[in-house]
Amino acid sequence: MRKKYYFFITILTIIVGLIIPFSNNTNFGVAADEKSHYTITTDSTYPPFDFQKEKQKEYVGIDMDLLKEIAKIENFTYSVKPMSFNMAAQTVANGQADGIIAGMAITPEREKIYDVSTPYFKTGVVFAVAKNSKIKSYEDLKGKKVALKTGTAAANYALELQKKYNFDVTYFNDSNIMYNDVIEGNSVACFEDQPVMQYAIQTGLKLKIPDQKLGNAGSYGFFVKKGQNSQLLKKFNRGLKKLQDNGKYDQIVDRYLGSAKNSVTKEKKGNLPHYNIATDVTFPPFEIQAKNGKYTGIDMDILESISKSQGFTYTLKPMSFNSATQTVANGQNDGIISGLTVTDERRKVFDFSNTYFRSGFIWAVNKDAKIKNIKDLKNQTVALKTGTGSADYAKSIQKKYGFKIKYFNDSNTMYNDVVVGNSVACFEDEPVMRYAIKNGINLTIPKQTPANTGEYAFAVQKGKNAALLKAFNIGLKELKKSGKYDQIKAKYLGSKADTNKEVGNTKEDNSVWGLLSSNREMFLSGLGNTMLLTVFAILIASVWGLILGIMGVSENRFVRGIYSTIIYIFRGLPLLVLAFFIYIGLPNLTGVKISTFAAGLLTLVLNEGAYTGAFVKGGFDAVDPGQMEAARALGVPYNQAMRGIIMPQGLKIMIPSFINQFIITLKDTSIISAIGFVELTQTGQLLVARTQKGFAVYGIVALIYLIVITVLTWLSKFIEKRLGF
Amino acid sequence: MNDKVLKIHAENVYKSFGKNEVLKGVSLDVHENEVVVMIGPSGSGKSTFLRAINQLEKIDKGSIIVDNVDVSDPKTNINKVRQRIGMVFQNFNLFNNKNVIDNITYAPLTLKKMTPDEAVEKARRLLVTVGLADREKSPVSQLSGGQKQRLAIARALEMGPDVMLFDEPTSALDPEMVGDVLNVMRNLAKQGMTMIIVTHEMGFARQVADRVVFFDQGVILEDDSPEIIFNQPKNVRAKEFINKIINA
Ligand SMILES: Nc1ncnc2c1ncn2[C@@H]1O[C@H](COP(=O)(O)OP(=O)(O)OP(=O)(O)O)[C@@H](O)[C@H]1O
Ligand SMILES: [Mg+2]
Repeated sequence: MRKKYYFFITILTIIVGLIIPFSNNTNFGVAADEKSHYTITTDSTYPPFDFQKEKQKEYVGIDMDLLKEIAKIENFTYSVKPMSFNMAAQTVANGQADGIIAGMAITPEREKIYDVSTPYFKTGVVFAVAKNSKIKSYEDLKGKKVALKTGTAAANYALELQKKYNFDVTYFNDSNIMYNDVIEGNSVACFEDQPVMQYAIQTGLKLKIPDQKLGNAGSYGFFVKKGQNSQLLKKFNRGLKKLQDNGKYDQIVDRYLGSAKNSVTKEKKGNLPHYNIATDVTFPPFEIQAKNGKYTGIDMDILESISKSQGFTYTLKPMSFNSATQTVANGQNDGIISGLTVTDERRKVFDFSNTYFRSGFIWAVNKDAKIKNIKDLKNQTVALKTGTGSADYAKSIQKKYGFKIKYFNDSNTMYNDVVVGNSVACFEDEPVMRYAIKNGINLTIPKQTPANTGEYAFAVQKGKNAALLKAFNIGLKELKKSGKYDQIKAKYLGSKADTNKEVGNTKEDNSVWGLLSSNREMFLSGLGNTMLLTVFAILIASVWGLILGIMGVSENRFVRGIYSTIIYIFRGLPLLVLAFFIYIGLPNLTGVKISTFAAGLLTLVLNEGAYTGAFVKGGFDAVDPGQMEAARALGVPYNQAMRGIIMPQGLKIMIPSFINQFIITLKDTSIISAIGFVELTQTGQLLVARTQKGFAVYGIVALIYLIVITVLTWLSKFIEKRLGF
Repeated sequence: MNDKVLKIHAENVYKSFGKNEVLKGVSLDVHENEVVVMIGPSGSGKSTFLRAINQLEKIDKGSIIVDNVDVSDPKTNINKVRQRIGMVFQNFNLFNNKNVIDNITYAPLTLKKMTPDEAVEKARRLLVTVGLADREKSPVSQLSGGQKQRLAIARALEMGPDVMLFDEPTSALDPEMVGDVLNVMRNLAKQGMTMIIVTHEMGFARQVADRVVFFDQGVILEDDSPEIIFNQPKNVRAKEFINKIINA
């Protein structure tokens, strides 16, 4: 579904890209830096940042108001192009628009494609509860059910908390449905981005935020295409600063979020030898966020070992790479370890430690490939990841070696393109590639010298924290001497010499077997829920379908009419709509709460029951009419003849249909995942969100379905035989 | 002309299927112990009339009285009347989900007209008379056509009907099976059963029938003794029809 979605967005972007150059009243595609009119894209609806007020055409919101004021101060004009968030981002990345302001979080991935302003808004995850709820803190959530929106940062954060606070979770694909679930009392709380939640409450949603503490804090920024529109970025930063200084900024934020301002609790520094170390949020294999939210990776392991051996403590400050460097350069944090390459530019602001890692660009090929030398790439297709340094490097040598290029937006897809043989090689940062290979990507790195090598080092602000730097250097030397350094490297990158079995808890075994065994409980519970739903749905839907079918062959026209109406409605309604209607609509109408299981069961029973009813009636109709005549001629009344003669023969005719319907019911349970019931399919979705191993996870899920269907079919045939048909 | 009890009295019966008028004023009397054979071209309405007698077909006009009960009256409990009219179909219509003896006992047991013992005992006697005593437990699918039709007759007799209706009982049978079925019917006639039989078995009709009626285009064109109908029919169309059959 995600894939499809992206595919759709891509197509849309292409279409827009084709159309826009022909419209002459826009400034799209102008590369000149010095201009005073800009095209800014934004999300068409992301309250309280960007949205359209009722009946008004104009866009308002924190983003829009800030932009307006900044433009005023900095003396430029702009037109706003609202579109879907993904499109808005892509349009800027393609250079078709100048900038994007859309509640867009600053992330390392994005900083590869965009240049970003100073952060203009702090955000983070909060949880909200019903107005009358007594829940005050995470601790109170223990054993309760919490609503999450699939695939959001807030959901990921909640999952980290889950281990510690032991609450149950239920998933939704839509915020409103999630909020509703809390209001209805099905769940006790939901997790959401703070400003979004705050605004929803501000505008009347019957929830409250018991604790303003921000989880997973991050920032929103204004983005322009990398290397372009630096003037605009400058103007934005300058304007923003002025707004913050003259109090206008606070006014704007207050306008939308009320008096409860975004106060982020200041963290305290210890009085022991303690440092704040900035690092990237995620940069495998150097910084990896593990399942439990803890950071691991080469950098982290080195830092931890050194801090132990050198006797200091530290607080890790994961943030975007750019923020990490900046906060150290201006002294907010004491040091940075973040796969930071030593450059002359950086030497001006930082003091570097001795280098602890050499990195460079390499190319990798399929394990079975005959390609040994870069010259072998001639006329072959090479896979690159858009916006990466390795891609830039590959492009720079393309002419020389005469290969063709194919772009991907995501590493995993790029690797797989090589694995399946569509491309012969891909370019990547050496440690990243080695880490991926170690984690099961079926590629190999032919013998070569890494290009554009860079050296990674730990850094502190220039002229400051000499003691920390010294401690790091001494510690690093000791690590290398003791062999611990090589162990750490081998743990993440593997090596020919490396046969040690030390597997960090950081590494997830992402092979099919590994996925299965390390997530056994998840799969089992998903399968269990699927089976539970299937068995109950089959039993009840069959009984209901029989009743319907009998109504359908009734002598009474009125009863036949009821049959036709029920079949018409429930065979006609899409299962998904029915599920939503029952789970969300019904409690609204009746005031009676209903669990996802009950709602799912009812949905399936009504839908499958209608299909069953139709073929049951069909089965009865298919019995030779002479059978009924013979019985009637003997003086047996219609109903008794139906029961004694027609139904037994009809049932026999419909057995294949029943088995078929059982299988359909099993498969249809997957649709119930939409209302948040964590059955097998939903389990797969959650696992993919975490592991990114779509192919393997859905492969496993598909296999489990097939096995269950085989067992189900076999069981049905067995029962059929036992019943003596 | 007959001082015996009137069993069936049909008067001016009309029946249409949509625009197709199939019965156009049929009147017929059948007395106790009488065997009436109905002949006539295909589509002339013989089956429709036979089925109207036990109301498997509802009539549009006229009346049919069986044992002094007006079966065409909607207020009549038709199930009661049907219990006294046995019917044998061209295609047997045996209950496929029941074995031989259960086919026979199904109706009396379902209608609670007999105890299981009574029903089985009577069924066994009937199986002997139709020559199927050894097939009591067989599924009906394992019977030959002739056996099936004899079983169908036994099933119709179980409830002790006053009247038996036969609609081409031998038409679906291989020639060598026809004799056995006709013998069973002959014996029934001998025992004095009142019967209406649609058949083209002319030999059988000559031998057994008290009267032969000739049906054509929804009316009865001739109603006479077999000797007259077969040797010197008054009606031209009857003559043509009989010639065609005899010379076939
Ligand atoms: N259920 C029905 N619906 C519509 N038309 C019917 C129905 N049953 C019989 N008919 C029509 O009524 C007419 C008389 O049919 P019927 O079966 O009574 O003829 P029949 O004399 O028994 O012929 P056969 O010797 O072929 O059995 C035919 O034209 C037939 O098509
Ligand atoms: Mg007929």
